[in-house]
Amino acid sequence: MLQLEGIEKTYLSGDVATPVLKGISFEVNPGEYVAIMGASGTGKSTLMNILGCLDKPTAGHYRLDDVDMVNLDDDELSHVRNHKIGFVFQQFHLLQRTSALKNVLLPLIYSDDYPEEAEDLAENALTMVGLADRIDYRPSQLSGGQQQRVAIARALITNPSMILADEPTGNLDSRSGSEVMAIFQRLHRDGRTVIVITHDRDLAEHANRLIVLDDGRIAEDELVDEPRDAEAELAAMTQSEEAA
Amino acid sequence: MRVLRIAGEGMNSLAANKLRTFFMMAGTIVGIAALTVIMAIGKGTEKKVMKRVEVFGPRAMMLIAGGGRALPPPDTSVTTLTLDDAQAIREEVTGLEMATPQAWQFGVSLKHEASQIQAVVWGVEPQWHEAWDWHAAEGEGISDEDVATMSRVCVIGSAVKRDLFGGTDPIGKSLYINKVSLTVKGVLEHRGTTGGDGGEFDNRVILPITTAMRRVMNVDHVGAIRIITQDVSLMEQQARQIEDLIRRRHHITPDVEDDFRIITAAIIADMVRGTSRTLSLLLMALAGLSLLVGGVVLMNILLISVAERTREIGLRRAVGATRGDIFAQFLTESLSVTFLGMLLGSAVGAAISLAIGRLTPMPAIVSWEPFALAIAFALLVGTFFGVQPARRAARLHPVEALR
Ligand SMILES: Nc1ncnc2c1ncn2[C@@H]1O[C@H](COP(=O)(O)OP(=O)(O)O)[C@@H](O)[C@H]1O
Ligand SMILES: [Mg+2]
Repeated sequence: MLQLEGIEKTYLSGDVATPVLKGISFEVNPGEYVAIMGASGTGKSTLMNILGCLDKPTAGHYRLDDVDMVNLDDDELSHVRNHKIGFVFQQFHLLQRTSALKNVLLPLIYSDDYPEEAEDLAENALTMVGLADRIDYRPSQLSGGQQQRVAIARALITNPSMILADEPTGNLDSRSGSEVMAIFQRLHRDGRTVIVITHDRDLAEHANRLIVLDDGRIAEDELVDEPRDAEAELAAMTQSEEAA
Repeated sequence: MRVLRIAGEGMNSLAANKLRTFFMMAGTIVGIAALTVIMAIGKGTEKKVMKRVEVFGPRAMMLIAGGGRALPPPDTSVTTLTLDDAQAIREEVTGLEMATPQAWQFGVSLKHEASQIQAVVWGVEPQWHEAWDWHAAEGEGISDEDVATMSRVCVIGSAVKRDLFGGTDPIGKSLYINKVSLTVKGVLEHRGTTGGDGGEFDNRVILPITTAMRRVMNVDHVGAIRIITQDVSLMEQQARQIEDLIRRRHHITPDVEDDFRIITAAIIADMVRGTSRTLSLLLMALAGLSLLVGGVVLMNILLISVAERTREIGLRRAVGATRGDIFAQFLTESLSVTFLGMLLGSAVGAAISLAIGRLTPMPAIVSWEPFALAIAFALLVGTFFGVQPARRAARLHPVEALR
């Protein structure tokens, strides 16, 4: 469903050119759960911005569902983001003073047709991430893990082609982090395409495929033999907490 | 509809920040209120002008003895204006329907049996009735014969009938002016007040001009000449012509001021507008300043808000908002503020106008026209000062904005 071909990204600040991505090529098939891993500063977020159509590569081609994103203008890219991509950010990026429900509904504001049953969809999405009883809560009334789960519900509301998550557990404690990873595994089992970006190998190994970036190039691209099971980790955590 | 949903996002943010919204709105409220009051006073004034011009006579001029520009009370000590001046005007100025002299005296004692009142006495020609379109309601008016024979008759105003004759039929009865006995031959139509500071019209007595000048006042000058033009568009020019003529006849050298003045309907209108104009100019300045300052405040608060909400904007872009959507959201915010401010300002302005109309001598009429203008101003201010913040918000790059 997506193909990258010789993607390069070079930042220009004044006369200084900083090459960050130096020729990245890979494909992702529908339903894959991919982790993109690499040390800090290797260009993971830069790559995710391109995958998410938030930014354009300096060179190369990026095809999403057989359309070359390089040729689209800003409005068309906005449209693609709206109905094909669900973002999950490290900082959650929820609207303050706005209920969980309204936050989840936000992407639909910008869709061409606002479904009549939008609020039901949003409630279902919140239920799916375990927040059925927090629908009217505002971000300030929710824990970090709960806020990130609202963000995941928001990413799901438009039924996108893929979920793109950049360091989704970076601001969370390990238990909340595992809860988030468990949700991603569930989404993967339901057949969704999930791409998670992280610098943490333990986290990356929850995915079925691991792409390692190093110095702007792909250093490794392999399947994970036995992905870690977030549900099992959560159960283990609960057990050791009870023992203590 | 998509555009309505996006407008809704703009309004949500206003509702969530009520104090901020109020500050954004304050200038518009004051500005539009001032604008509404200006228009109400303007409209009230124009109505008053029309009424006064109607009373004065839209085609009339008054040539009044004594210099200066103001309205009566005239300077009755000036004795240079004569019947011959009136005759000269009739002969030399074309396009006039009539020019009729009148002698006058103010604050004259009238006596009838035991009662006594103060009134205005005018000596007039029969044309006076035409010139003022003011006829006898009872009995008869002044006739040519009355003037020719210097007859001892008079026609009284309705207030004189009421106050001197106790409301009884005065026709055929006599009254005394300066020890001269005059028989009442008619009562003038009721005119009421001048609709302004001119006092009551009906407190007067008119006599044949000859009787007035020779028997009652003992003068050989007149107080004024009432002139009616055939064509209002010629009035300005005729007024200048008359001025030249009378200066010549009075041997006034170029460096000396006129010893008379000519009041036209246009001058009456100007004088009525005078007081309101000062206030209107003040309010205009207030309105302009408020809208401008209010607009700048609005713009700056919006700019601050764009800066504060950079991440929100980045997120909206990430979930699918186009540049146009972001622009629309912030412009909606600006326009909603000015529109709401306009509604409040119109209400405040209408209330103040009503109060002015009730509590001050200034006329003020509340109507829908200021509201239409206010809508236009609200849209103008909201757009003008909202575009820059909206554009700045729309130009943010999603990646930078999310950082
Ligand atoms: N807008 C930019 N201008 C210049 N350099 C940038 C910009 N964005 C990122 N970089 C640089 O690109 C490199 C990769 O950044 P990033 O993709 O955020 O890395 P990662 O997410 O892997 O930590 C870093 O060295 C960073 O300083
Ligand atoms: Mg990063």
